[in-house]
Order: sequence, then C-alpha cells, then structure tokens
Amino acid sequence: MERDSLHPLSQRLTPPPPSRRELMALATLAAGGLLTSCGRGGSTKTVVRFWNGFTGPDGRTMLRMVQRFNAQNPDVQVVMQRMDWNTCYNKLFVSGLGGRAPELFVVHTRAMERFVRAGFLRSNNDLITGVHSIDTRDLDSNVWQGVEFGGKHYGLPLDCHAMGMYFNRALFQKAGMVDRQGNPLVPTNREEFLHVIKEITHPGKEGKADTWGFVLTNWESNLYTFMRQFGGEFFTPDHSKCVLYNPENIEALQFCVDLIRRYKVAPQPEYFDSWIGFRQGKVGIVFEGIYMLADLQKQKDLDFSGAPVPQVSQHKAVWADSHNLCMRSDLKEPELSATWRFIKYLSDNSLDWAEGGQIPVRKSLRAAPRFESMKVQSAFAKQIPIVNYLPRLPFIFEFQTEFNLALEKALRGRATPAEALQNAETRMNGIIARDRGNG
Amino acid sequence: MTASRRLRALSGYLFALPYLTLFCGFVVLPLLFGLSLSLFRWEILSARPAQFVGSANYQEALHDPYFWKALFATFRFVMLAVPPTICLALAIANGIHAIPRKRQAFYRAAYFLPTVITISVAGILWRWFYNSEFGLFNAYLGQVNIKVPWITDYRWAMPSIVLMTLWWTVGGPMVALLAGLQNIPVAYYEAAALDGAVGWRVFRHITLPLLRPVLLFVMVLNITGAFQVFGQVYMITRGGPEMSTRTLVQYIYETAFNNYRMGYASALSWLLFLVIALFSVIQFRMMREQ
Repeated sequence: MERDSLHPLSQRLTPPPPSRRELMALATLAAGGLLTSCGRGGSTKTVVRFWNGFTGPDGRTMLRMVQRFNAQNPDVQVVMQRMDWNTCYNKLFVSGLGGRAPELFVVHTRAMERFVRAGFLRSNNDLITGVHSIDTRDLDSNVWQGVEFGGKHYGLPLDCHAMGMYFNRALFQKAGMVDRQGNPLVPTNREEFLHVIKEITHPGKEGKADTWGFVLTNWESNLYTFMRQFGGEFFTPDHSKCVLYNPENIEALQFCVDLIRRYKVAPQPEYFDSWIGFRQGKVGIVFEGIYMLADLQKQKDLDFSGAPVPQVSQHKAVWADSHNLCMRSDLKEPELSATWRFIKYLSDNSLDWAEGGQIPVRKSLRAAPRFESMKVQSAFAKQIPIVNYLPRLPFIFEFQTEFNLALEKALRGRATPAEALQNAETRMNGIIARDRGNG
Repeated sequence: MTASRRLRALSGYLFALPYLTLFCGFVVLPLLFGLSLSLFRWEILSARPAQFVGSANYQEALHDPYFWKALFATFRFVMLAVPPTICLALAIANGIHAIPRKRQAFYRAAYFLPTVITISVAGILWRWFYNSEFGLFNAYLGQVNIKVPWITDYRWAMPSIVLMTLWWTVGGPMVALLAGLQNIPVAYYEAAALDGAVGWRVFRHITLPLLRPVLLFVMVLNITGAFQVFGQVYMITRGGPEMSTRTLVQYIYETAFNNYRMGYASALSWLLFLVIALFSVIQFRMMREQ
C-alpha cells in the first residue's frame, strides 16, 4: 500500500513538506493497518479487501451496504477502499503485477478485456452454481454476456448504468411543450426531439441565448449513442481494424455539430460546465448516465424527470456500462468463499444500490414495487435490452483518447467530422498494428 | 597528519552514507533500470514477454506527433511560467526586504502559504475559480460583461495554468531570494550611497550581481521543476482542450499507466531527462561566463 502511493512521479511532483492532507493519509494508513491486524489477530475474521472508484454519493451507498454485511457476517470483515477510477485502475494493475491485488474489485465492462488478457481475474462459473448460487437467468442476458470471455464469466455485473434523457419539466411547460393535462411532451424520435429543443431555446439579453434546448455533456457517451443509432460501426468484429471513418458515424457527428452551429439549439460544449447549466435550470434536455441522478436530487429547486433517449435515426441504441464485481485470479480459501458471499449479498441487495442512482441487472428485483417507485431509474431501465457497451478492446483507453479528441475537434469546429474521424481511425489502426506486433 | 585527514574523510563519508544509500536505492538504481527498460518492448498487458528492441522506442518517439505536441506544450509552459515566477519572486522579495524586519515574517508567510497547499487541493480550487459558468473569476468579470473561456479554449488554457502556477509556486523562490538579499553586506550599499548611486542603479550593479548564485539556484530549480509540470495540468484540464496542455510528464504517465507501455514510457522519460539536463548545463555555463 505504502509502496504504491510513493510512486516515483508523485515523489518528484510534490514539493512541500508533509501537509495536513498527507498527515491525514498517514493516519488513515495507520488506522487501516490496525484494522487489518485486528482481523488477523485474536478473532478468526477473514479480511476481504474491496477496491472501487465510488468516490461520489454512490460511495456512501456502498459503504452502508458494506457495514450492513459486516454486521450480519461476524466472521468476515470487508474493508473498502475508494479512489477515483483512474487511480483505481492503475493501482489494480500495479498490485496485480506484484501479486498483491485486493480480493475483490470493480471493473467496468469496457475495461474487462484487458484484465482478462493479463490473467488477473478469476472466473466465477463454479461459484455461481455452488452453495451460494445465483440464477443467471435472472440476469439480463446482454449484460451477462458483457463479462463472458471464451465461454467463461469473469465478473458479476452489479448494475447497468445506461445513459438516459433528463429533462427540465419547468422549461417544457414554459415553452408550451405539454399536453392538455399539463404533462410534458417527451420526445421519442428525431422530429419531436428537434422540435422540443428549438421551442425551448430562446435568446436572453444582449443577444445571447439564455435558455438552451439541449447540451452535450459527456461527448463520448452521447456521440457513441448517436453513432450507434445511425448504424455506425467502430471496429471489424474481430477488432483487427478500426472502421470509425464511415458515412454513418460522419452523419451522426454532423448531426451534433448542426445542433450547435446550424440550428443553434445547443451551446458550445464545455465539459462539466454544461452539466452545471442543466442543474441551474438553463437547459431543457441532457443525455447523461443514471449515476448523475443523485447530483440532481440534491438540487431541490429543479423540476426534472427522466425518460429513454429519443431514437434520432433508424436503429435503437443507447450507451451503457456496468460495474462488475471481480475477484483476484489466485484467490484461495477462506477468502474465496467470504468474497463470493459478499458478492452475492451485493447482488441480492442491489435495490439498495439502485436507490443511489443505479439500475440493477436482476430482473426479479426490477419487477419489485420498490424499484418501480424509483421513477428515473425505472424509466432508464426500459432501455436495457438496447444498451450498447463500448467495444471490448485491450487498448480501450487509447481508443477513448483518440475518439474524444476527434469529437472535440469536430464539435468545436476545428475540423470537419470526416477529417476528425479519419484522423482518429488512422491513429487507431496504428495502435492495433503495434498491439498485434507488426508496428 | 595523514591519518587524521583520512579519519576526517572517513567521517565525512559516514555522514553522507545514509543519504547516499537512499539516493542509490531510490534514484540511481531506478534510473538505470529505466534506462535498460527503455531498450525493451514491454507491455504489461500482453502475454508476450519483454523483448529487446534496441533504439526502437527512441525512434518511435521521434516520429510520434503526440510526443512533439507534448514537448511543445512543455516548452510553452516553461517559457510562460519561469520568467514571470522569477521576476515576481524577486520583486516581492525586494519589497519584503525593504520593510522593517519585525513585520517581514507576516508577509513572508503570507506569500509562502499557497506553496504549502497540495496540488490536488489547489487544483480543484482553481478549477472552480476558472469555471466559465459559475466560477469566481467570471462572476466578477461578468459584471463588466466579460466572459473568459479560461480552461475550455485551447488558446487560453495554458496561460490559465501558468497563472495558477504563479500563485502556487512563487513563494519558494521568493523565500530563497529574500534570504539571498539579506545576506548582502550593508557595506556595499553604504559605499554605493557615498558614490551617489540610487534606485535602479543600486539594484542593477550591486544587488543583482551579488544575488547571482541564489538566482542561478532558483532558476535551475524552477526550470527543472517546470519541465516536469504535471499536477496542475492533470488536476485542472487533464491535458485538454485538444491536448493543448498535455505536457510530457502527463504523456509519460498515460503511456505507462493507462496504456501500460513501460518500455516506451521509459524512453520518453529519458528524453525528458536529456532535455532538462541540457538546459541545466546551459544555465550553469551562462551564469559562470558572466
């Protein structure tokens, strides 16, 4: 642990003497050491270390679940550590190489491939039919397939955080986009979508638009959705070639550029600021993940609701990812059964997890009245059959870098959609060639 | 005589030993390991074992547009950040030096304070300041109808990072320069006053030359530090927009820990090391020749 955090880079980059933050970190480490030694000492508790990137409100939800499990299972002590996803993945790889990986950790479906390929994960097919069995027919089949590699499953999906449409009810009302009963006219296709956002957009003072119909917050998930809806492909099925530069993807990207430049119903995308715009009630519609729900619920004066993303072209598709509970490949008893018991506990209780802004992937749980009372979650959950995960690539982060750069250039008008995508495709094919050993 | 000298030398080495051990264990060895790694193709992800490739990683770097882009961004940061930092630190140090000793401690502490804040905290703080919709700066500028795209426009992002860096790091050089100023014997100033020198001429012909060793020290530290800029950029812009602020260290970091290409990342690190070494040598030469 200590060796990981004293990374040579961070050493060189932190100039001042120990700050309060660092002292606190030391104190936490010491406390953590105490905890572990307690577990190994007098009592017979089995310690399960659990790493994840739930640093937002989801982390508090997860912490409550961990505490409840620990209380109900006196022989097991789950010790959770939260860090931002980038750090989490880096530490997982470094600790995995050193043979010190935690017993349990969370991996996104998009990142599974590289972990499987590195041999870090343990398949769970023997456990799922064992003593603490889980009926896999209760899991959504497409989500369950997301963790399957060569006939084996390497993680248990806890949720499916699909993207969905959040809309501002007050702005719909103001623009007259309501039916006779005063319910918002929720757009479901391209015409309705364009109509609504045009009606909501209106200029404020000094010629500047005050209210926007739509804004792109997360370019990657938004454009991935649009491109899939237009029927665009990203790679050949065997991932041997990138085919990002194709008419469907260009059309989808052009559609978004037009929203900004031609129809002027969306402002220039500005990272996270755009999301703030929606929170402040200045934007009619955004497409964001279900995990942003908790952020909106804090905003008491915002009258919002959720619905599936409109279908703007001929295909049904929406971006999603899943959090998968994964085990270290060399896990032995007694940690193995303790870890699996905890995994099953989380899955069985994933309605608690859903409460914090997630969609469980156990169909039986989604059928419960408690889930139906979670309005936004159940609206987004309707999209589960049509969710699209990012392509499963070992070099997924490099793909994301290139893809985002292309989108940024096109959306800011620094390149045409065709130029931007062609450039990214060329770079990606170089990376594939290198990965396959020809480059 | 010789015996006692040898003993003295031995005790010197003994004093240096703890540091030397750590230095070798944690700096020299990793450096050499990195150098040998840079000659291998080693991607943690792939099942393929590490493979000796000679200078292939270095050749790849020379043809890698992202390397050049990152190098350019790094140079841009150094050029924009170092001169203002040194000048500002010198100006503040002179100002503090001029006020009575009793009150100096307060100002010294006040200017040094930001340096004590860790970069993660300072970075988050400034990201809020720079937010174009609800940030502090644009809130004030908005009152005169100005809206600056601080970190969302590729032209503005780097200067914004530099501004933040100035606030964050000016304290260190300032303290060093202040100590240097206080070490200049008063006799020189008295002699100059007798000769009728005042103001700028005193500063130009007495303060600056006598401050040269400290200035060199501060400049070398500042420039090597600036070449390794990472924290601010990573916290505030993540290298964006359009990679305009992605510096070499961030590129190295991402190559090693996002893409797991250890050999290539090591080669990039050594290239950065060469650039920094080159600049340090030039500076020492320049200061010596004057």
